[in-house]
Amino acid sequence: MPFRMWFIAQAGDVTDGSLRELCTAIREQGGVILMNTRTGPLVALDDDVAPAVEQHPLVAHMGPVALNPRGVAADRLQRIFAENISRQVDFAALEDVGSA
Amino acid sequence: MGSDLLAVPFPKMVLSLAQAIAKGQLALDQASLNTLKVLSRTKFDYIPEITEVLTPRPFTAHGVEVTGVDVDAVASPPLSMTLLQAGIVPTFYQFTESVIEVKMSISSKTESHSEFEFGIETEASAGFLFASGSVSSHVNFKTANTYSYSAEGSSLLRTTLRPTPPPSRMMPRFITVNALVQPPTVTFSE
Repeated sequence: MPFRMWFIAQAGDVTDGSLRELCTAIREQGGVILMNTRTGPLVALDDDVAPAVEQHPLVAHMGPVALNPRGVAADRLQRIFAENISRQVDFAALEDVGSA
Repeated sequence: MGSDLLAVPFPKMVLSLAQAIAKGQLALDQASLNTLKVLSRTKFDYIPEITEVLTPRPFTAHGVEVTGVDVDAVASPPLSMTLLQAGIVPTFYQFTESVIEVKMSISSKTESHSEFEFGIETEASAGFLFASGSVSSHVNFKTANTYSYSAEGSSLLRTTLRPTPPPSRMMPRFITVNALVQPPTVTFSE
């Protein structure tokens, strides 16, 4: 199934601790955090695991989103996403998979 | 067989499918609208510009004067903007194709079995003064007919769901009034 961008509105107050807990749960499901906001994280997730993430007690609302390239800050957002993905993806492991 | 095919509740199946699709579409649209609301409320600080001023600052290294430069970076005040303004839009889905497939397997079998038996027995005797004779015959006829009929049916409902661009009526229009120039300019964007 394809990776899709999802926006998650967190339940309750968004604190560093709760955000970290939610992001850890997403990473455990194989997702990547594109950006964190005061409402919740913007993530990239496989469609297959999205329902499992949606069941997390810290998730109040979760919906698929897309990046409108004509948005005011679309370029900037794209750069932020790329920077954050580069910190989370293990490129060495990807190369191993590619060569296998 | 024709009556069996006619008995398939097509109108009811189509109606049920249409109702299910309408219900599903409504739920999907509501979920996308909720995402739209959340995105329109979620703000982040956007720094539109960082000005870097490069000034010469030559310095001496091991007695040799080299060209140096000072970089003075000044960020413009952060601009609070919603994720929707920034360019994150909710994904809307639409049912594009629906198929109802009905498969029927009808079989009928007729078996006929008949047995026919015919026999004649004769008996004759003769004496000095009289003679007698008898003839008997029998006919046996058995017939058996078996008739079996079976009809099996299965139906398959298949729908295709595709992401579509947000409906223009559901997406807000951004009106930007640029008061930096005189007279102020107004631009519209989706």
